[in-house]
Amino acid sequence: MDNFLSVRDLRVHFPTPDGVVKATDGLSYDLAKGKTLGIVGESGSGKSVSSSAILGLHRGTSAQVSGQILLEGTDLLTITDEEMRLRRGREVAMIFQDPLSAMHPYYTVGNQIGEAYRVHHDVSKKAARARVIEMLELVGIPQPDRRVDDYPHQFSGGMRQRAMIAMALINDPGLVIADEPTTALDVTVQAQILDLLQKLQREFNTGIIIITHDLGVVAEMADDVLVMYAGKAVEYGPTKELLTHPEMPYTWGLLSSVPDLTADVEEKLVPIPGTPPSLLSPPSGCAFHPRCRYKDQVAGDLCVTQQPDLTPGTRGPGHLKRCHLTDPTVPNEEEVARS
Amino acid sequence: MGMKLRRTVASTAASVLGLTLLAACGGGSDDDSGNNGSGNAAVAGEKGGTLKVLQHFPYEAADPQRIYYGVQLAWYRRLIYRGLLAFPMSEDGEVATTPVPDLATDTGTSSEGGKVWEFTLKDGVKWEDGSDITCEDVQYGTSRVFANDLITGGPNYTLSYIDVEDYPGPYKATPEQQAAYEEAVSCDGQTITFRFNKPWADFPQAVAGMMMTDPYKEEFDEGAKSQWKVLSNGPYKVEGGEWSKNQGATLVRNENYDPATDDPEALRLALPDQIDYQIDPSDTAGELFNDRLIQDAADVKNAITTARVAPTQFPQITGPVEDRYLNVLSPYTQYLSPNFNSEVMQDVNVRRALAMSLNLNGYVKALGGEVAAAPAETIVAPDVAGSTENPAFAEDNNNDGDPDGARALLEEAGVQTPVEISLAYPTSPTADKAMAVVQEGWNAAGFDVTLEPQGDTYYDVISRPDDEFDVTWGGWGADWPSAMTVIPPLFDSRPNFSPTTCGQNYGCYQSDEFEALVDEAANASDVDAQVESLVEADAKLGEDVAYIPLDVSKFNWLYGSQVTGFTTTAASSSYPEIGLIGVQQ
Amino acid sequence: MWAYIVRRLFIGVALLLALTLVTFVLFFASPVDPARYACGKNCSEDQRDQARAALGYDKPVYEQWGLFMKGIVAGRDFPADEELRAAAPEVVTHCAAPCLGYSHLNSSTVNDLVVDAAPVSISLALVALVMWLVGGVLFGILAAVFKGSFIDRGIVGLTLVAYAFPTFFIAVFFLKYLAVKWELWPYPTYISLEDGGLASWLGNLIIPSFTLALVFMAGYVRMTRAFMLESMTEDYIRTAKSKGLKQRTVLFKHGLRAALTPLVTMTGLDFATLLGGAIITESVFAYPGLGLLTVQASEAWDLPTVIGVVVLAGAFVILMNIIVDISYAFIDPRVRLG
Repeated sequence: MDNFLSVRDLRVHFPTPDGVVKATDGLSYDLAKGKTLGIVGESGSGKSVSSSAILGLHRGTSAQVSGQILLEGTDLLTITDEEMRLRRGREVAMIFQDPLSAMHPYYTVGNQIGEAYRVHHDVSKKAARARVIEMLELVGIPQPDRRVDDYPHQFSGGMRQRAMIAMALINDPGLVIADEPTTALDVTVQAQILDLLQKLQREFNTGIIIITHDLGVVAEMADDVLVMYAGKAVEYGPTKELLTHPEMPYTWGLLSSVPDLTADVEEKLVPIPGTPPSLLSPPSGCAFHPRCRYKDQVAGDLCVTQQPDLTPGTRGPGHLKRCHLTDPTVPNEEEVARS
Repeated sequence: MGMKLRRTVASTAASVLGLTLLAACGGGSDDDSGNNGSGNAAVAGEKGGTLKVLQHFPYEAADPQRIYYGVQLAWYRRLIYRGLLAFPMSEDGEVATTPVPDLATDTGTSSEGGKVWEFTLKDGVKWEDGSDITCEDVQYGTSRVFANDLITGGPNYTLSYIDVEDYPGPYKATPEQQAAYEEAVSCDGQTITFRFNKPWADFPQAVAGMMMTDPYKEEFDEGAKSQWKVLSNGPYKVEGGEWSKNQGATLVRNENYDPATDDPEALRLALPDQIDYQIDPSDTAGELFNDRLIQDAADVKNAITTARVAPTQFPQITGPVEDRYLNVLSPYTQYLSPNFNSEVMQDVNVRRALAMSLNLNGYVKALGGEVAAAPAETIVAPDVAGSTENPAFAEDNNNDGDPDGARALLEEAGVQTPVEISLAYPTSPTADKAMAVVQEGWNAAGFDVTLEPQGDTYYDVISRPDDEFDVTWGGWGADWPSAMTVIPPLFDSRPNFSPTTCGQNYGCYQSDEFEALVDEAANASDVDAQVESLVEADAKLGEDVAYIPLDVSKFNWLYGSQVTGFTTTAASSSYPEIGLIGVQQ
Repeated sequence: MWAYIVRRLFIGVALLLALTLVTFVLFFASPVDPARYACGKNCSEDQRDQARAALGYDKPVYEQWGLFMKGIVAGRDFPADEELRAAAPEVVTHCAAPCLGYSHLNSSTVNDLVVDAAPVSISLALVALVMWLVGGVLFGILAAVFKGSFIDRGIVGLTLVAYAFPTFFIAVFFLKYLAVKWELWPYPTYISLEDGGLASWLGNLIIPSFTLALVFMAGYVRMTRAFMLESMTEDYIRTAKSKGLKQRTVLFKHGLRAALTPLVTMTGLDFATLLGGAIITESVFAYPGLGLLTVQASEAWDLPTVIGVVVLAGAFVILMNIIVDISYAFIDPRVRLG
């Protein structure tokens, strides 16, 4: 596969006075042009951190980043700051979770989007403005020639996110990282935004990494899914395959903690017990074992003493999992299968 | 200059105890009125140039009837306001305190035992606008002092002497009231007659030293609004006609001043063509002025200052700076008052014991030594008529204190030792040090002294008759060079006592015998007789130990290298004698 | 917005009224007899009464306050003693509305005193404002950008040292050494713009204004640094960076803009306070502004001047508050005054 983006053994470590926080620890994945990768996990699992690393946002901080991030064959970790800056927004753009706080309150929407354009294109303010209006129209802002001079707080949440998308796509980047793009929005608006993203993806042939904790979003958007836990990938595979045949108890847990609006209201949601692990001193063995209801099914105390590798599961080499369970049969088949 | 000096000494007590007297070490000292600065003082003054005056406090008014600052009275007299009489510019203390004619033809004639005084104005004396100075101007000026509502702040001795009842000043007076005044102070041609309700032997001194009886042109008067307006009759006039409180003024030649009507040699040489007053009323101004003078900075080579050298600056007065330096005795004395309302102070031997055991030399040393102060043997400062060593203090000890003698006195008094007493004074680092010396000496004699350092409201606190202090510190200077402005104001109970206060009689002293002597002096028809009574009165105060003299302050002056004729006189309150000063071209 | 301004002004006037009343009451609650100061120390009781009547101190406090308010609204004639005014029209001073009173100490209306003194205080405050804003913001940004480095620690340390020294000490140091001992700068004396022109006016203001600015500068460095650091952690900074903006643009256009906004309030209020007179600086440098006027007036118990300056200073603060609030409507598009 001719990969547009290849991430290899990416590690993002933050030294703190109490020790090293391994926010991302040995992450690898690929993304082809025009495709979508969904990265799923609880907050603190390292999914946002790993994506920020692609944009080089950790440069100039104390974070230690290692591994490789190959974008069209160039390792983004080895280029200079200036080279990285020139790629930001132009080759890799980002859409953030909360468009209200992600946009500067004191500048107009048009100013902020135009700024993203002009930093990479040597054009007049007027030309930039025309381009902004064009983009606003494209993302479905009504009366874009008027709204271009509005401030972010004058936009509704959905419109703000549309504007953010316009900002991300204005330079026609090959890769867009969308970090929880719909979390802060009303449910009805969520679907519109996702539709818009998909539409534009087709139009621009953009690769998208969508970071979310919402498997519904993943199911709708993603070609591949990467499930992260404690800074590591715990399951990785094509979306349909992974969602229908998850082989890792954490993924099971994620699936069963998603409410299904179409399902019988009597059906119980099963939350994952416990809290996400500390990245400062992650649990021994499998990081998930303190919360795992199935560790008893593994012989001895393997789950506690030995970290499982990310290896192909029972359904072929395209579906990787990190688990000691030899017979990863989902205990409650119906519950999982509903998505 | 009671009020004025009072102001320097009293309201800024720190400047007396804290600054003036705190010399740390120093250059040579000298005799009473001596001039030890060689510098340019000897250089014959030449006319022309610009003199700069660096003044570290704002005046309260430029209106002659509202002026009470000693240095301002002395300097204005030389520069812009001539009086009927004036004190001559002499380094001889006696000459400098003897009035001579200025606007008047002679020093006045008195009749009816000193109750009536007559002066005649010279011909040809003019205001700066060219108009003649008339007898009516003197009459009007004198009347203004009565308007306590508009013409405030100046000395008002005339109010209690001039023989008129219920006169509210010229502004508010009914025609009858005005007529009554004009009978008491009357004009006949150019001759003015003052009629008093009691004898006033030292009236000429008051006329020369104060401006209560200076002429004022009625049509120029706007009451309080005239506070800063100047209509000069001296050799200079104020540019723009108005003095600026915080910025001073530029004085230029007054074309309508005729030196022929004057005695320039004795009263005002008026050498510089221009005098620039620069006022800086900040707390630090005085020290900084002297810093600049020590350096002889380019912009102060032609400058003198009202600010005395600060004790911290004494070490810098060496080499060539010493040639531009003068250390002189001032007209300010400091003293201690035993509280006559205090039980332990009732016995005269207890009070005598205080005087006898006072370590005055140690006290002066603590103040900064001989450049800062000199031990005093009377409350009446040198160069003031009536200043004679008070036998009670001159003979009691050698100024080192005599604790044994004092102990004997306490035994005689039959009091139980140690005698617990408190001593109040306005606090400052130097005062604290100096008072500790006093305390030590007294403790050695059988007292147990508690020091009571006080803050800004010192004089308000100690003038209360019920204050709990046994001894209080005080400072004083004469309004004019007569002990009449020292002894009665401080120790006569009659003008001082009221139900709420002992006034300036801080010890609440009262003695019929003393007051009889004061009356004798007040009623004396001539100054010699008056002085004689006052010396006797002072001796009585000594006998009763109504006060214990401490020291006479010394002044330390610096001036720029181009300044000529620099000296101080008794007539200038030991401030620079501006009438003699010139500028080298 | 006009309705808002009118309402704020109305509240401001009410506050000023309360301020004058409090000042009156405080003044008369003190045991000192102002007539004693007006008359001079050697005044007899009768003479004092005469002075008291001329100044109007013989009337009850509420009546004096009423007269004061009347002066504000309609103007007044002085001296307060009507008989005296009738007998001697030449001594009458008319004080036009809004009359702040009449100073016995200076024999002048407080309005005239204030008109003379205010330019001095305003000049001082203005030049100081420019200095502390430029210096404070610049060093604050520098410290924030190099957070944790020796530059940061150096700047913060130095400003703390500057802050720790009393203004009086700094002022005297500048005068004693810069102006006198080393003669690096002419001894500063206030020269108005009209009298000396821009160069002379400014040259003489440098040292006193810098003295004044130093104290504020320390605070502004620390505040700018803190606001800047806080602003740099905002989401929109991450957005700006991810757009590929230059570091400079991120810092100044996005970071600083947000960091400066809270400084506007501080600046407005600090400036307003200074307009009412910088007491210590004006006293040490002998700049005849409102601060020095106040000091001299309070030493002489010159009530009308004290009240006049208090009211003026209060008005400055209240007005500046309104201006700051209104300016937010322009600075921060989210704010709409209703």
